[in-house]
Amino acid sequence: MGGSTSQKNIHGQKGFIAFILRHKVLFGVLALLIFEICIAFGVHPDMSKVAEEPEKLKHIFGFAIPLGGINTKTIIMSWIIMGILVVFSFFATRRMKKVPGKLQLIAELIVGGFDDLCNETLGDKARKFLPLVATIFLFVLLSNIIGIIPIPGIEEPTRDLNTTLGLGIMVFLVSHIAGIRYRGIKKYVAEYFEPMIEIKGVRIPNLFMFFLNFVGEIGKVVSHSFRLFGNIMGGAIIIVVVSNLVRYVLLPIGLNIFFGIFVGLVQAFVFAMLALTYISMMVTE
Amino acid sequence: MDISGAEFIKAAALLGAGICMGLGAIGPGIGEGFAAGKACEGVAREPENAGLITRTMLVGQAVSESTGIYSLVIALLMIFVV
Repeated sequence: MGGSTSQKNIHGQKGFIAFILRHKVLFGVLALLIFEICIAFGVHPDMSKVAEEPEKLKHIFGFAIPLGGINTKTIIMSWIIMGILVVFSFFATRRMKKVPGKLQLIAELIVGGFDDLCNETLGDKARKFLPLVATIFLFVLLSNIIGIIPIPGIEEPTRDLNTTLGLGIMVFLVSHIAGIRYRGIKKYVAEYFEPMIEIKGVRIPNLFMFFLNFVGEIGKVVSHSFRLFGNIMGGAIIIVVVSNLVRYVLLPIGLNIFFGIFVGLVQAFVFAMLALTYISMMVTE
Repeated sequence: MDISGAEFIKAAALLGAGICMGLGAIGPGIGEGFAAGKACEGVAREPENAGLITRTMLVGQAVSESTGIYSLVIALLMIFVV
């Protein structure tokens, strides 16, 4: 077979990968078929279960848990994601070489990219906040795209408002405490009264602006966390509704790719970038 | 056929959710399209800064999307909670 050998030379690959590359249409159709079969036999989520009350753990060791219980599914899924991240970083940094391997290359890409971003926005304090921002990005990214795995019970932890609100409040606390630490309490408090009233060169704090700025700070947390939650929840609902409309034929795959991977990636990046922006607004003069 | 009060409230909530989503999506749609158009102009003018422009555009679009997300949340509340 002249064609196959020339193809092998062009791609420079042998064995199984070359076999897949030669029959990519066949394998694509096979993968689609497997996906369709998975979805047809009850793997798909139930339409009525989209927004029902999730299961909650209300008692632990005989004690009642305050605030209405713990959302077990979210907790388990976020611990799984944390475990994946820990294992990934362990294996990526185990035997580091000057010429990186595959895993080390991925890790270097992510860390290096966020190092550049932090250096642009934060300057000399970049290394202090790089771990937080990069970890938020990785956690949210993995949380968003884990929903495309068609196994019942696997759903995005970011679909739960508790996760995103927790992350938002964490960023809020970190940015404000860092603002107090790096600029002093006086400048921090004075910012709430901006823009001040100036009468003959004397600056008088504006109490009206204080309330506006205060509500603006609360609104930051709300919009920060609701943006992620709304995007992921909305995507999940659209996937379920449209999948029901087309009887799970072909279209759910495209929807999963768009809402799972693309929107998930963009929203994770936006979440991390906004966290970085909020921190830099507080930290820099 | 007579309609009870609870049914009427449910119907009004569903109608309200539709109106909320429809009106709330206008603003983000126009805003994000405008931002994408301006980013296109920027990339055409200086292609070497394409990465920075795309990044800034995405963050700006995400911020201007907030109002749409708020209306989505309100619509979800009206459909599933009321």
